Amino acid sequence: MREKLVIGLSLGAALLLAYNLYEIFLVLPDEAMQGAIYRIIFFHVPAAITGMVGYFVALVFSVLYLTSGNFRYDSLAASVVEVSIVFSLVNIVTGSIWARIIWGIWWTWDYRLTSALVCVLIFGGYLMLRRAIDEPTQRARLSAALSIFGCVDVVIVWKSIEWFRTQHPGPVLSIRTGGGHIDPAMERLLYMNFYAILMIAIALVLIRTRQEATAREIDSLRRLANAA
Amino acid sequence: MIQACYTACTRSWVPPELRTFMKSLRQALSVARKDLAIELRTKESLNAAGAFAIAILLLFSFAFDPFAEAAREMAGGLLWLVFAFAGALIFNRGFARELPNECLETLLASPLSTSSLLLGKAFGNFVMLLALELISLFVFGIFYDVRWWLHPLELAALCALATWGISIVGAIFGALTVNLRLRELMLPVIIYPLLIPLLIAAIEITDTLLANRPITAYELLWGRVLVVFDIVFTALALALAETILVNQ
Amino acid sequence: MDERNFTFMFYGFLAAWLIVLLYVVLLARRGARLKRELEDVKHLVESSQTAQQTSYTKDKL
Repeated sequence: MREKLVIGLSLGAALLLAYNLYEIFLVLPDEAMQGAIYRIIFFHVPAAITGMVGYFVALVFSVLYLTSGNFRYDSLAASVVEVSIVFSLVNIVTGSIWARIIWGIWWTWDYRLTSALVCVLIFGGYLMLRRAIDEPTQRARLSAALSIFGCVDVVIVWKSIEWFRTQHPGPVLSIRTGGGHIDPAMERLLYMNFYAILMIAIALVLIRTRQEATAREIDSLRRLANAA
Repeated sequence: MIQACYTACTRSWVPPELRTFMKSLRQALSVARKDLAIELRTKESLNAAGAFAIAILLLFSFAFDPFAEAAREMAGGLLWLVFAFAGALIFNRGFARELPNECLETLLASPLSTSSLLLGKAFGNFVMLLALELISLFVFGIFYDVRWWLHPLELAALCALATWGISIVGAIFGALTVNLRLRELMLPVIIYPLLIPLLIAAIEITDTLLANRPITAYELLWGRVLVVFDIVFTALALALAETILVNQ
Repeated sequence: MDERNFTFMFYGFLAAWLIVLLYVVLLARRGARLKRELEDVKHLVESSQTAQQTSYTKDKL
């Protein structure tokens, strides 16, 4: 069942991406002031949203683990964090490449970029913590606690565009601005690409969760073998 | 202060909620008093942290000209980096000193609530870090010729707020990493990214104070960030203390 | 328009896909390693159970 879901999601994502890439390169015109480089936004923003949403989803799973004690939630939390870090890295790297042309610099220390990098560092610390603990219950408990703290920082990232004057472009999506900041065709494609990337992310999470379950099985069989 | 809390706990006219709160506070202060008494006797954390702070200040004086205008611009940042790095040495010892002779298990098994234990450790960290900050400020003033005493009340308020934020984060993650084999490595890796918003706020306000500029709405905004950070992380730490410390 | 625009746009897309591809390769390798480990541990459990049964039978005799 899970394998069918993974294959289905991957195929769906592939088809949607193929269509989106056709639209991005052959249908949409160049942006008035940025030229061709603006097309990076179609991966930069969806990857950013996927990463940020992922951290909150991991928070939910962490809280569910702490309340229920079911290791499946712990596996899901760890998998979601790992995949979110990957997409956050995609966000940061594509953003840097865009910035090199538009701002002339690879990186700037304005609050938005700094907070995005801090998120990656916090959840990177989450993964390091998991590797440092061998005992499964302790590992699940402590990493759940850390992910709750980590999500407080994600909130600061979300709010940073409104709180502080920043070099990063302000909000453009209609759900935040009420419209008028971005061409509707571009905005539609942004959401379409977000769905494609979300499908890829879910497929990766499902694969990773299965691997966590296998690792737990190996651990319990080892204990059984040692007990015998 | 502990006596005052004890008195408040035992009078019948005190409402039950306040009595419970006072009891927790009394327990926390007892833990802090114990830690500070041990620290005063052995001085292991303070000596190490103090020496480390002075070493960093010395090394930075080689990295750039300490009397240049640019150095004064960076003064706030330098100070808070010193406090954060040296503070990690203090936080590492916080729960680790309870490991020998199963003292931590004994404390957890006692009637002391885990949140009181955590709060006590945070109070202890707070006092030790404040002491370290005072020493560092004196040395800093001499090495870098910075007149940090020009706005004493504002600086004291800033140090209290920011140091509490660092202390509570240091205490909760000291508890989280206490049983890990790579404790000394994991604690800094985990706490420094979390402390970044607080450090930025503290640095911005310190830069203004050390440059003898007036406090504007911009600095007050950062002050609010500090207050929010303190409240949120204290609440989270107290809520998750039992989850982190008790092996279920 | 700046010609670097097109080159950097290409780099941007390449970087995005490369990072995801690297992660997929990492997952695949981890999956293969876990599969091998599972087989090994299953054999270990079977052999230790067989050894236990053998010694139990010997004790009975």
